[in-house]
Amino acid sequence: MYPLSSQRRSWTFANEEQLRVFRVEQNTKYIEEHEAEAPSTGNLNDFFLTPEEERLLLKQYEIYLVDFCRRFEPPMPKCVIGTAFHYFKRFYLNNTPMDYHPKEILATCVFVACKVEEFNVSINQFVNNIKGDRNKATDIVLSNELLLIGQLNYYLTVHNPFRPIEGFLIDIKTRSKMINPDRLRPHIDSFIDSIFFTDACMLHTPSQIGLASILHAASKEQENLDSYVTDLLFVSAPERLRGLIEAVRKIRMLVKNYEPPDREAVKAIEKKLDKCRNQNNNPDSELYKERLRRLYTDEDDMPAEDASFHIANVSSDTSAMNISQ
Amino acid sequence: MEEQACPRCKTTKYRNPSLKLMVNVCGHTLCESCVDMLFLKGSGACPECMVPLRRNNFREQLFEDPMVEKEVDIRRRILRDYNKREEDFASLEEYNDYLEEIEDIIYNLCNNIEVIETNKRIEAYKRDNREVIQRNKTRVGRDEYALEELLEIERAQEESRKKELDELETEHKKKKARDKQALIEELMYSGKDAAQIVSEFAEKAEKQREEEKQLPPPKAATEFSTGIKFGQSADPTLLPVPKSEEGPLFNYEPYLPYTEGPMAPHAIDIETMGYIHHIRTETPQENAGGFTSTLACQRALEEALQCLYFTPTAGLGVGL
Repeated sequence: MYPLSSQRRSWTFANEEQLRVFRVEQNTKYIEEHEAEAPSTGNLNDFFLTPEEERLLLKQYEIYLVDFCRRFEPPMPKCVIGTAFHYFKRFYLNNTPMDYHPKEILATCVFVACKVEEFNVSINQFVNNIKGDRNKATDIVLSNELLLIGQLNYYLTVHNPFRPIEGFLIDIKTRSKMINPDRLRPHIDSFIDSIFFTDACMLHTPSQIGLASILHAASKEQENLDSYVTDLLFVSAPERLRGLIEAVRKIRMLVKNYEPPDREAVKAIEKKLDKCRNQNNNPDSELYKERLRRLYTDEDDMPAEDASFHIANVSSDTSAMNISQ
Repeated sequence: MEEQACPRCKTTKYRNPSLKLMVNVCGHTLCESCVDMLFLKGSGACPECMVPLRRNNFREQLFEDPMVEKEVDIRRRILRDYNKREEDFASLEEYNDYLEEIEDIIYNLCNNIEVIETNKRIEAYKRDNREVIQRNKTRVGRDEYALEELLEIERAQEESRKKELDELETEHKKKKARDKQALIEELMYSGKDAAQIVSEFAEKAEKQREEEKQLPPPKAATEFSTGIKFGQSADPTLLPVPKSEEGPLFNYEPYLPYTEGPMAPHAIDIETMGYIHHIRTETPQENAGGFTSTLACQRALEEALQCLYFTPTAGLGVGL
């Protein structure tokens, strides 16, 4: 039930401005906290990412997210991708990529989405889709999983527009005179794909997004579904029609105005990020290893001089375990 | 009484006290050494009736008459399959007929009357009653188990009684010693008449003895130290159903979907208005789980129409 869901209650926002305020707030908070790390000379903006740069970076990673999901083996259903996108966007509404690197959060989002959408893959199967050190990837995904779920405030149910689209198609086939509505599908799919790169899913309801994609596909096919909307859908509440037209217009504008990020610019941002990111959360940094080591020793109440316990040992242990499995 | 002898080598119990007579399914006896000699290869024919026999079917003769031995053997074999009980029959009459049939079969087999027909009869019986036979076999196992349990309980009771008796004994001895000590002390230090003291103490001892006789008999052990009951004395019925306090009665309120959009068609309309034709029919597996195409169709339609009237208002989303 979307009308009573947490998605509608807590994760649907009034306008883009509201989203922007959230993101800028996170950015300034991080800069304030980590001001000391910046070189004393020069502008803070030269060291830290600006909110605009963060957006650009995240846009690039959203593209990576789709690529990763498309190439995922076994092939994953669409709703997993949709849910992963929701998680990714929600996470970076309350966090900055300087704090948590998007590449790590991306994999974690997809992993949690697989679980929530009941697309059953084990962690081993999952990391097989990741290039590079798989043991490290396993460690990262599993250690970030709880963080992500916590940051989502444990609201894991996501309503994707896929089912509403099916519902509209059934309705159109039943009640309107349109010939072969199934030919809309390719256009719908491509529209939905590009919708995920926008913030539409945090501004509009899944049914509105679904209807917008159907109307968009109809216009591509030189069909007119206006009479379906006015005479069949909104016949009982014509006064509501204006709101819907506005919403559909906004969604189509969002998609139309979307620009893929410039690769070169993103590369520069990534270089910048390597310096200004929170080293506490960087699995390659000494600080992170030190923190983790302390965490482990605290838990097991081990004497402090037992310094032989290293992260490297941990991952080699797990690899040994993987082999025996 | 005729001397026990091996029919082949004519050795008698008198000449060889360690003579062991063996018997096989045919009911003819042979002594152990003859069996060893004749059945060197594991199987062979009976020297008397030429029936082919296996060596490992030989067993020691328990009864003097080898014919009894044979009958016991046959009876055991037959009863393994003819294991119906009185409960399996509708009337006592039928059960008696059944018992008689068993006796007939055993008699026939023992005396080599119509062996082939009888064997056929047994085969037919086995075929017809395979299920009952199997069931009764397991039931026999259960009965044995229950018997074992009973024995176990008895043993436990015995043990506890013994322990209690031992305790009583030691207690008694201690008490006697104490009394004696008290008597001696009394005699030593009190100024009373010695004879009076002695009789007083004797009286007291007598009273105590009587009291002891009235001690309750030891209680049977029917539960583990944890308080869990075991054995047949455990209550076979389930725990009593706890009586729940009745709360206020449930008041049914019809479900009013909050859709914030146009109303979705009813479940009935989905079929009559033809929505159902545009969705695949459910597989038998899905149907078994209670999922019908109508349900799926209705859900898709509902989700399509929910919140179509939604208009963003300021301060709606809060993020966390």
